[in-house]
Amino acid sequence: MRTLKIFLTLLPFAWTIGGVAFANRIRPFVLGLPFLMFWILSGILLAFLCLTAMYKIDTHGQKH
Amino acid sequence: MSNASVALIIIAIFIMGSAAVGIAPGLREKLSFEQWAVGGRNFGRGMNWFILAGEIYTAFAFMGAAGWAYSKGAPVFYALGYGCLAYIVGYYLLPAMSPIGRRFGLMTQADLVEHIYDSRVLGVLTAAIGVCFMLPYLQLQLTGLGLIIETCSYGVIPRTTAMIIAFGLVATFVSVSGLKGVAATAIIKDIVMIVAVVYFGVYLPVHYFGSYGGLFEAVDKAKPGLLMLPGATKNMDVSWMMSTIALTSLGFYMWPHLTANSFSARNPDVLKHNAVYLPLYQICLLFPILIGFTALLVIQPTLKTPDMAFMMLVQKSFPGWALGMVGGAGALACMIPAADLLLATSMVFTRNVYGRTAGTGTSPAAMARLTKGVVLGLAVVALMLCIFSPGMLVNLLLTGYSGVSQFFPLLVLGVFWKRANKIGAFCGLAVGEFLVFYTMLNKLDPLPVAGMNLNAGFIALVANMLVFVVVSLLVAPQRSESVYLSTHPVEPAAH
Repeated sequence: MRTLKIFLTLLPFAWTIGGVAFANRIRPFVLGLPFLMFWILSGILLAFLCLTAMYKIDTHGQKH
Repeated sequence: MSNASVALIIIAIFIMGSAAVGIAPGLREKLSFEQWAVGGRNFGRGMNWFILAGEIYTAFAFMGAAGWAYSKGAPVFYALGYGCLAYIVGYYLLPAMSPIGRRFGLMTQADLVEHIYDSRVLGVLTAAIGVCFMLPYLQLQLTGLGLIIETCSYGVIPRTTAMIIAFGLVATFVSVSGLKGVAATAIIKDIVMIVAVVYFGVYLPVHYFGSYGGLFEAVDKAKPGLLMLPGATKNMDVSWMMSTIALTSLGFYMWPHLTANSFSARNPDVLKHNAVYLPLYQICLLFPILIGFTALLVIQPTLKTPDMAFMMLVQKSFPGWALGMVGGAGALACMIPAADLLLATSMVFTRNVYGRTAGTGTSPAAMARLTKGVVLGLAVVALMLCIFSPGMLVNLLLTGYSGVSQFFPLLVLGVFWKRANKIGAFCGLAVGEFLVFYTMLNKLDPLPVAGMNLNAGFIALVANMLVFVVVSLLVAPQRSESVYLSTHPVEPAAH
């Protein structure tokens, strides 16, 4: 679980920051947005998904 | 009615209305100092959401993002990227800091630093540096406010008058209601701002270009290359973007007022839960960027003040009520973050600078009265700076984000690393802040290194971190086991 949490923590950083090195292009447009803009927006969604998973792991088994 | 009077009435309603909401909590009941300063440490998910999220969507989000899209192009995309990463840092850091604050009665970031390192000197130093960077940030909000109201009232209200009225109201409600007033008004601000941003961000690009795709096709045709780095700039390239997102995401929660906001949470789960959903809120930043690109093609000749792009486009496309809406939302986007900054600056200055140097021995009751007085005093100082020397603090302002980011090792390693000690912290901080000031004052940001253009604050942070770790390892452990354990969050047992 610990390894999984570290992975979920670092993945969005790698995606957004590391991704800029490969995603600095205008085309193809995705959803009408230039590629670089789309890439960075996709990082927001990824961060949300990773945080959701981390929160699930952390609260697993706790009574609410 | 003329466009100007319609706009003016709408702006006045927003400003007066939110001031009334802000002052209400303090008039309804007599607030204890802890309730005033950190909301009685009893904010649930909703209230905590609005003070954490609310301090993020400031005048920059509203005017600056559109302005950067208008003047720089692709470099503005960094603003979409760093927040969601900052929330990951916050997911770990805030729930760890908040219980320490509750257990030891801490109310400010400098309180926390003094406590974890058991060092008054380091606490005072952190406080003094924090004040130096918050004051220009406060001035920025105030200047933005004046500009927005002047433009949106079609020049009827001059900016100085606007600043005095709006800021007088802010200082009054902060002094009466403290963080509870900030939270109550933050709710209004966020709703108004999101409605305005989404409405105009959906309508304007579609109105002029048919679709987002149409907008970007047109931008790409008119300004080839603008939509990829470095856009319209010379040195904001890929390495700049990577180092800037790294710096701003790590530095985000180092703003002193955000530590105080995290102390307001009822329990650590509130902070964790909100960190999960805050990234989604960030998608709203997309809309000002779309508006900025629309303005670039629609507004000719080129604006001298790119930050006006949003308002100029609305003025060109709509009658007075719409400009009133944008003016009202924009004014709140300046006023509410200014309120939070004013509160935090007064707290840090009174408690951690005055109270730990010249004013040791002041009674808690006198301290509480003094802090509320300092709120009004600082408001006057900030107003004076805006009116009489608007350019004086520009250098400090540029260093703001880089400057507070240097607290990262101090706070994060202090909370999570057993060997962190005050000598390492002091050396790291000194190196980091020196590099920040040196590069900024010599206009070395972005800093050219080996063919790359790196964010100067990022370089400073790397140096700071290295010095911190190396010095901490070289000197004997300073913190006894018991001090570390008393500050260290107790992890729930593994299951």
